[in-house]
Formats: sequence, structure tokens, C-alpha cells
Amino acid sequence: MNNCPRFALALLALVFATAGWAQDDARQRDESEALKLAALEALIAAPPERALPLATKVLAGNHSNEVKARALFVLSQIDDPAAQEQLIRTAEQNGGELQAEAIRMVGIGGDEGALARLAEIYRSGDAETRAAVFEAYVIAQNAEGVYDIAVNAESEAEVERAAQMLAAMGARDELRALRERIGMSQGLITAYGIAGDVESLRELAMNDSNPQQQAQAIEALGLTGENDVGAMLAEIYRGSDSQQVRDAAIQGLIIAGDDEAVLQLYRASGDTAEKRQLMQALAATGSDLILEVIDDALAEQ
Amino acid sequence: MNDEQLILYYYGDGLSHAERRRIAAAIENDERLAARYAALCRELDSWAPAEEVAAPAHVVRRMHDTVDRMARPAAVAVSDRSQQRRFSLTSFAWGAAVTAALAIAIGAGVFVSRAPTDPPAEMSTMAARDNRGSFARGVQVYFEDARSDLVSMSVGSAPDRSRLIANIIDQNRLYERAAMQNDARDLARVLRAFEPILQRLADDDITPAEAEALRAQLAFEINVMLTKISRGSSNEIQTT
Repeated sequence: MNNCPRFALALLALVFATAGWAQDDARQRDESEALKLAALEALIAAPPERALPLATKVLAGNHSNEVKARALFVLSQIDDPAAQEQLIRTAEQNGGELQAEAIRMVGIGGDEGALARLAEIYRSGDAETRAAVFEAYVIAQNAEGVYDIAVNAESEAEVERAAQMLAAMGARDELRALRERIGMSQGLITAYGIAGDVESLRELAMNDSNPQQQAQAIEALGLTGENDVGAMLAEIYRGSDSQQVRDAAIQGLIIAGDDEAVLQLYRASGDTAEKRQLMQALAATGSDLILEVIDDALAEQ
Repeated sequence: MNDEQLILYYYGDGLSHAERRRIAAAIENDERLAARYAALCRELDSWAPAEEVAAPAHVVRRMHDTVDRMARPAAVAVSDRSQQRRFSLTSFAWGAAVTAALAIAIGAGVFVSRAPTDPPAEMSTMAARDNRGSFARGVQVYFEDARSDLVSMSVGSAPDRSRLIANIIDQNRLYERAAMQNDARDLARVLRAFEPILQRLADDDITPAEAEALRAQLAFEINVMLTKISRGSSNEIQTT
């Protein structure tokens, strides 16, 4: 009931506004603009079947881009498929001044059908339009759309950006599919780490055909934050004679912050140089266990 | 001091004794920080369950693990410049992950802790409704605070603006995660859409006119969301 006066204000203002209020000076224009914005703000209080035609009318009317952009946001909040259709149609108006804003609203609306139609806008759009589509996919957490961008990317930077975003979304399936389509890269390995894909990283960590990639995968295991990676990294460390692999495993343990695993490796080691390296690693984890190690080391002397 | 630290301090979790002492001293000696902390306490108190029931052990363990895990690499990252450079690609993800940990903490304290192990079906429904009500009130308070901050913000002073906006961004991420955990995906999308605007607003190199336009846009969108939430407050936030 509290919203009734606001809705009445909205109706009144929009009816006057769309009828073309005579404006003679800047002050009156400002007041008229402010009233329209207040009306649009209140429009969300109306039932969808009443709010939708009014918001649509504002889009088609002779209003400033600011007022129309606000109408787009109101449309994104109206629970009606016709509102989403209106948004995507505005987004499809190539070069339109409201195109980027409409694309953002498609993301906010989250309608799967409308999001799928953004792919074509991305393909034919300029840099600004592409950025808007990417942002819309991020807003909607639409992994399929971001994957599509990565697969059809024209530059390495575009692929990296899309892979990072898929990682932040935790879209492991899409990241694995990306590897099949475009091959492995350091950026993709980091993305696996962020996405917590232990399985893929373990497979890469065990493959010594490409030592650099193997080391990157071992380090990235530490990024996953999974509980069992400390034990896995310690096992990799113990099971390898390669200094590169062992360094990567320590690096992974530091990233994972697994001070217990580092301490165990320290205590198991009989080599002074190795002990020194593990002590430094323990210090890097910020763990209080370093005090025990220092105590032990000083006692030995 | 950021809100995440104050939230952990409020919940008495995820901080070492030294960090707790440092925060306590800072609150005692800084009036503005004390006021901020008091406001935060009021907000978090409003989410507190009427009847405290211990959270299931596995949830508490998960929360502790997540907070610990996220805190450690952050400490490592600042210890070495070369490592910092190496992990710069993932800094955004760490930020998101720490926020996730905090959202889990809020979830465990507010939403999970009040659920008995085997609640009768009608009690589960009532609890879910209560939880959503608490969550909606929390979001409402956040929107009102953000609007108030934006209105009082000095558009002309870039450093002040950046500091204030950084604080809103932290809060915004926290509520976005909480929205996801409450299956309020519509709301999560809106909160996510606020971030790029907030980021642009925090930029040093925008003109006062651009800052004013961005502030007006945010204020409008927050007002619409407040109206929408108040419209549904007698029911619940729409979840899809």
C-alpha cells in the first residue's frame, strides 16, 4: 500500500512527460528531467503489466539518453519475458547510443535466450561493444558466453582475459574444453589453479614431457586451496630428483600455506642446503612453526 | 582498516591474538573507526539468530579452513616482490576468495547455525523464510548505507572518493556472495553490475562531471532496488 502514492506519481509524471511538456529554459528542463527520473524510480513499485508499457514508452519517446538508460534498468527489473525482449532488441541496435547500456541490462536480466543473442553482437561489434558484452556475461556469470569469446578470440590477451574470468567463475568444464580447442598455456594453467581443478593439474604435474609446463602445474596446485594438495606436493617433492620439480613443489606449498608439510620435509632432510631452503620456505608461509625450526637449528650448533 | 577485518573481529574468528589486540586498540583510539565498527555491529546484530544453535561441525571446519587458507597466501604474497609479480594475475581471485570465506562465515553464523540437525518440514520452511527475511534486511541496510555514502561523498576530491568507494566495493562483494549463497541470483547480478561502475567512480582520472554522472546512475539503481526490496519485504526477495 505504501507504494501506491509513488506509483501514482510515476504515472502522472510519465503521462505528462510523454505528452511533451513545454520547456523554455534550462531550469525547467532540469526539473522536468528530475521528475521523470523520480517517476521511473517509482515505476518498479507498479505491477509488471502496468510498468512494462510505461517503461517501453519512455524508450520510444523523445527523452534524454539518461532518462532512457534509467528506463532500461527498470526494464531489467521487471519480471516479464517481454521486458527482456525489449532489452535485447535495444542492444541489437548497432551503433545506438544506448547499445552498451542495454547490453549491460541484458546481463543484469540474466535471461538465457537474450544472453545467447549477445554472441552475434560481440562478433560484429567494435571494441566498446565487445567490452560491454564481456561485462554482461560476467554479470550474468554466463560461462558459455565467456567460453565462446575465448574460442573465437583474435588475440592472446583476449584468451587470457576470458580464461581468467572462467577461472573466477569456477567453470572447470569450460576451461578443460578450452585446452582441447586452443592448447595449453601458462595462463590456462593458472586458471586451472584458481578454478580449483586439482585433477587436471595433477595430470600435468605428473607429465615430464614438458618440464616448464610441469613446474607451472605443480606450483598452480598450491593455488587450488584444496585440503589434500599439501600431501600431494610433498609426495611430488620426495619422489623427484629434478631440482626444477622440487623447487616448484616448495613454491606450491608456500602458496598453499601448508606449513606442516614443509616442516615434515625439513625434519626428514639430512642435507644442510636443502634444510636452509625449506627453512626459508617455512618463513615465507608466515607460520609460527619457523620458531621451532630455528630453535632446533640453534640447538644443533 | 577494512570492513572484512572488522567483520572477522566481530565474529571473533579468523584473526590471530595479535591482530585482535591491534584492532581493539585501533577502535579504542580512533573515534571514526569506533563509529564505523558500531554501525557494522548494528548491521550484523540485525542478522543474528533469535536463538543461537551451534553450527554443524563440518560447516565450522570448512569456514575455518577457508579463512586460514585465504589468509596465508596473502601474507606470503607481500613478502617477496618477485612472488608478487608472479601472482598478480590471480590477485582478483584471492580477493574474491577471501570474500567468499567471509560470506561463508556469515552463512554459518546466520543461516546454518539456526537450522537443527533434523528439523520438521514446517520448521525448515519457517527457518528458510526467517533467513531470507534477515538477508533482505541486511541487503536493505547495505543499500541505504551505500546511498548515504554516495550522497555525502565529495566528488571533487579523488583520494576521498577512492577510499570511500573501495569500502563500498568490499561490502558489495560480500553481499554479492551472500546473495549467491541465498540463491538470490537476480540480486547477485545487480550487485555484480554495480562493481564496474564503482571501479570507474574510484578512478583518479575521471572528471567531476563524469563522477557526478556515475554517482547519479548508482543512486538511481540503488533506489530502484530499495523500492523493489521494500515491495517484496512482506514476502521475500525474489530468487531465480
